[in-house]
Amino acid sequence: MNQDERLSILKDILLTDEREYAKKVEEKLKIVEDIVNKQNELSERVNPIIDEKLNDFVVEIPKTLGPTITETLKSEIRNSQDAVVEALFPIIGKMIKKYIQQEMQILSEQINSKVNSTFSFESLKRKFKSKRSGVSEADLILQELAQPILEQIMVIEKGSGIIISEYSKTQSIDQDMVSGMLTAIKSFAEDAFEKENQELSYIEYDNFHIHLQNFSSYYIAVIISGPYNVMYKSKLEDKLLDFAKNYINEYDIKDTKSFTKKLEQYFKNNVL
Amino acid sequence: MKISKKIVLLGHFGVGKSSLIRRFVENTFSEDYKVTIGVHIFKKNVSIPEKGTDVSLVLWDLEGNDDISNTRLSYLIGTHAFIYVYDVSRPATYKNLESELEFLKEKQKNTPITVVGNKEDLVTKTYLKQNVDDFGSLTDLYVSAKTGHKVDFLFSKLAEALI
Repeated sequence: MNQDERLSILKDILLTDEREYAKKVEEKLKIVEDIVNKQNELSERVNPIIDEKLNDFVVEIPKTLGPTITETLKSEIRNSQDAVVEALFPIIGKMIKKYIQQEMQILSEQINSKVNSTFSFESLKRKFKSKRSGVSEADLILQELAQPILEQIMVIEKGSGIIISEYSKTQSIDQDMVSGMLTAIKSFAEDAFEKENQELSYIEYDNFHIHLQNFSSYYIAVIISGPYNVMYKSKLEDKLLDFAKNYINEYDIKDTKSFTKKLEQYFKNNVL
Repeated sequence: MKISKKIVLLGHFGVGKSSLIRRFVENTFSEDYKVTIGVHIFKKNVSIPEKGTDVSLVLWDLEGNDDISNTRLSYLIGTHAFIYVYDVSRPATYKNLESELEFLKEKQKNTPITVVGNKEDLVTKTYLKQNVDDFGSLTDLYVSAKTGHKVDFLFSKLAEALI
């Protein structure tokens, strides 16, 4: 036995355990490496499919589940009205409170400005009126502030609904559409009731009152905001009849410019 | 000076009156059918460069009626022009075309009527030729609210003819 063989036997004796251990570690490392590689390969293949499915899910969910969710919400709201009221009440309450506070502030400022002009002609007139009628000055001021406001006047051809003339301080509506729709509503109402010589004369829309004054070939629609009462209606009717009788002739109906000029002159001061 | 004209669209249910108006006014089209109840008013200004003026077309889209005599006559008063619409793909909508037009002429004398065959995209030219006896001689224009074919032309020509 030479020296090399002896050395080899010695190595076997000394290093056998470590070699086995190193071999096991290597095997385990290989297993781990395989798993990691397989996962990477798998995710490369599976990720696009998952992405696609997710996109489909996002697109499809409103269609498939949307109606069910809406219906569930509706029935929940219907069945739990008290709970909804409980939840909304503080928010709505705050909104209403804020709105009323703001309106009261405006009213208070307007009253102050009226009261401060103590020696104005208007004020003296009010004082005199208050003494004579027995109505307190405060009530008279409130009455003055709560006046109806004439927002817009439209002269509309009967039947066609085409606007002949119009006067307003602020342009806020599409006159052609409104005059067409008013005429359609009028036609429907007058047709549906099947009574001859009866015409629609009043429409209420939100905070607006629409007074309709009928003449033979046209009608006048007056849009009013604020309190609209019988007294105001009567004054307005008198004004409109006076305007139609004394200022408008048959040529004006065909001449839009002339009609509009007369309408503006007559209603410019909005005094009723 | 502003000129306004009242145009009334009539015809059976589902012939595409509202779709024609929407295509003209909003340049939109929807396959969903929403029935018109009563009347719907639309407006569009049409410029007529040849005459140097604008015309405001106030379009009355009346609810469909399978029998024109059931139409609320008060809606027809003061009309400057009618557009009678039928569906070229549904014979029921044009089988009484002649008598329906007669009714209109009788109720609103001297008011021009434009007869329009809508949904032209659903049929072939051969079909239109084959059915010329049923509606051809009375039809002024074939249009399609879906594709928009000749819709602008219809209203522009009408506006031009009215001034």
